[in-house]
Amino acid sequence: MSLWIDSLLAVLAVFLAVRCLLAPTLPQCVFLFFAFGLTLALAWARLGAVDVAIAEAAIAAGFLGVLLIDALRDFSRSRSTGEGGDRPSRVSQGLVGAGVLVFLVVAIEAVWRVPNGGGLTALAADNLPQSGVDHPVTAVLLNYRSYDTWLEVGVVLMALLALFATGGREYFCRPVVRAVDPLLRQVILLFTPVLFLVGAFLLYLGKTEPGGAFQAAVLWGAGGILLHLGGWPVFASMAPWLRHLLLTAGFGFFLLLGFLFMAGGGALFEYPLAQAGLLILVVETLAALSIAAALTAIFAYFNGMSAESAEPFTPASS
Amino acid sequence: MTDLPASPLVALLVGVPIAFALVSLFFRTEGRARTGLLGSLGTTALAFPAILEVARKGTVIHLLGGWAPPLGILLRLDPLAAVFIGMTALVGGVISLYAWWYFRKEATAGGTSALFWPLWLFLWAGLNGLFLSNDLFNLFVTIEVVGICAVALAVLSGKAASLIAGLRYLLAAIAGSMGYLFGVALLYGSTGTLDITLLGAALTPGPATTFALIVMTLGLMIKTACFPLHFWLPPAHAAALPPVSALLSALVVKGTFYILLRLWTEVFGVSLTFAAGQLIGVAGAVAVLWGSWQALMQDRLKLIVAHSSVAQLGYLLMVFPLIVLAPGVAAESANWLSPAWTAAVYQVMAHGFAKASFFLSAGIIVIALGHDRKSSLRDLVARLPMTAMAIAVAGVSLIGLPPSGGFFAKWMLLKGIFMSEQWWWAPAVLGGSFLTAGYVFMILRLAFAPAEAGQPVRPVPKALQVCALVLAIGSFLIVLPADHIIQFLESTAPFATGVETYPEGGRHGND
Repeated sequence: MSLWIDSLLAVLAVFLAVRCLLAPTLPQCVFLFFAFGLTLALAWARLGAVDVAIAEAAIAAGFLGVLLIDALRDFSRSRSTGEGGDRPSRVSQGLVGAGVLVFLVVAIEAVWRVPNGGGLTALAADNLPQSGVDHPVTAVLLNYRSYDTWLEVGVVLMALLALFATGGREYFCRPVVRAVDPLLRQVILLFTPVLFLVGAFLLYLGKTEPGGAFQAAVLWGAGGILLHLGGWPVFASMAPWLRHLLLTAGFGFFLLLGFLFMAGGGALFEYPLAQAGLLILVVETLAALSIAAALTAIFAYFNGMSAESAEPFTPASS
Repeated sequence: MTDLPASPLVALLVGVPIAFALVSLFFRTEGRARTGLLGSLGTTALAFPAILEVARKGTVIHLLGGWAPPLGILLRLDPLAAVFIGMTALVGGVISLYAWWYFRKEATAGGTSALFWPLWLFLWAGLNGLFLSNDLFNLFVTIEVVGICAVALAVLSGKAASLIAGLRYLLAAIAGSMGYLFGVALLYGSTGTLDITLLGAALTPGPATTFALIVMTLGLMIKTACFPLHFWLPPAHAAALPPVSALLSALVVKGTFYILLRLWTEVFGVSLTFAAGQLIGVAGAVAVLWGSWQALMQDRLKLIVAHSSVAQLGYLLMVFPLIVLAPGVAAESANWLSPAWTAAVYQVMAHGFAKASFFLSAGIIVIALGHDRKSSLRDLVARLPMTAMAIAVAGVSLIGLPPSGGFFAKWMLLKGIFMSEQWWWAPAVLGGSFLTAGYVFMILRLAFAPAEAGQPVRPVPKALQVCALVLAIGSFLIVLPADHIIQFLESTAPFATGVETYPEGGRHGND
């Protein structure tokens, strides 16, 4: 039975990926991408990596999907400016296809022949008592390799700055006021606290079970995006200093804590065992908050981009 | 590796620029520039005690989180990393001063030029982290940091051309990162470790290792803009703002070259063949000739300089065929390894100084005349004497005339080529120099030619011109401490180490 499910998922993932690449119109492409993301999430769950499955479903299918649909709306509006570029010739298409095929065959062969190196699973489990948490994935992310996680939290912030750079402005526009369905507004009001609680639960769960900062952040970010769409642009209309504090809290506090313990004679990100559990929870909470803020900011910024003439919340005068 | 002396300075090299970048975000234009400049100068200053520490104690390390590899991540500051960090500190410091004056002058109200400072400090931290990292996955994270900040900086001017070039740059960078990451996954699967030192000892030859070598090398070659994967570089570097072009060309592309050098000498020894080294050398030789020829054909100064980067990066690749030894040659008997490594390090430094200076000068010409077409160079000697001087001095270093850093690098490269009897690389080195002389002398000829009448010259702050000239002169001054630098580098591997290869069917035989 499980073999059937696994084979079905494997075939479905490849099929959806190919269909997505070959889809003739952009909307089809986007929705196939959704379906592909969800299939991948299921595959991760089948592989026993529930944390990755949640992250895949929430970020790749959920958050990216929302951004893509938002972009799609802008595309359909400016359709009149011209349809696509010139298509590559059949010969070059064939050559690229053949090249990709050869690459895939060689890659699969190489992956097939990977000798079993054992990995670090046993070592990570052995050191759990010294890490301050009870779940090996959380121990890897926030203690053994916290330096990588710290830089990755920073990458989310840098992505937002990169978006500011491409958009040519560093402030958020008032969202285009559309008639919002009163029922929708009620549903959003109902959902926001639920999303917040489920996010907090996932965050706390990370101590012992699959879950953690990135998963919680996506749920909180979803809450922020829903509020924005419902006509309460909470994040975008915040005072700039508060907004910056939210965006930098995770990355900054992580580093501050690292510097503090380094001043005490330890290494960067070395936590004393007695406080490690608590410190990791605080660091995770702030990181989740910052990532959620960055995700909301990315959406709010995109959403404001479609209305070029919209007035800013904070004028850019210096 | 874990019993080496530890030093907190190593972690500060990454932490300090990030702390300044985060603080700078809270300020508007003026305060942000001040915090940014302070952070830049602080990061430059930090490099000196770090290098002194290495000179005194040898390689120093930092165990992040207190965990030793393979579980944790190890940062190691050895002489090679110290030289790269020092070069970044000096060139980056002068570019920061230039940027300070440049953005004051521009003062584009409501624009995004204030984003320069946090992005540049994040980028700098990423580069320092890259030079220090001894962990394959952590290297991936650092190239992500460097890549995303570099793309963001490249589009900062907001012009359509820079956005299109920036998108291309982004796609190339992502493709490169994915190739690299795929290889990392294969290596971790085969050996169960990500630490470079442990990996080098544990890796066995086989199809998975060979495939990882190929995808990681290709991925890093895209990011280093190696021929024929250099297509993204000229438009992206030419369309960016002057301080950004300078740091992209002088510093960013050197980061992935550094990883390539480390991987080939410290990890992939078991899987490399003599032919692989020759192949990458061919890519380098073609890049030198093709890039220089393209530079000669351009009619905008910034495009000339950007294409020249493709060529100068080619010289770096020509070091690989010298380092990967022919089957049967023992590393102990290969006396050309030291000149070859010296050539690589000096080419990185000389190009860093000279190219940064060149792009900064191009920026000055755009401020003064409003464009950078060839005609803008006319009568430069009378109009902007200091900038003309900077271009001449930097150009001499790019050509490789004595006594510049560029000369020293190319001379060492030729020495290595002849000592290893791989004379077939020599024509490319010399041909590249002749073509480079072609476009540099063309620029200088125009600089002495009379100007077209009626072209007004806007005033340019003296400070900008001084920055460009200082970097140009720097590309000569680096030769003075050459003895000390080489001695410093020779105290530890991987400097002057070679990769021994075996005839097919020996230790190497696939399958």
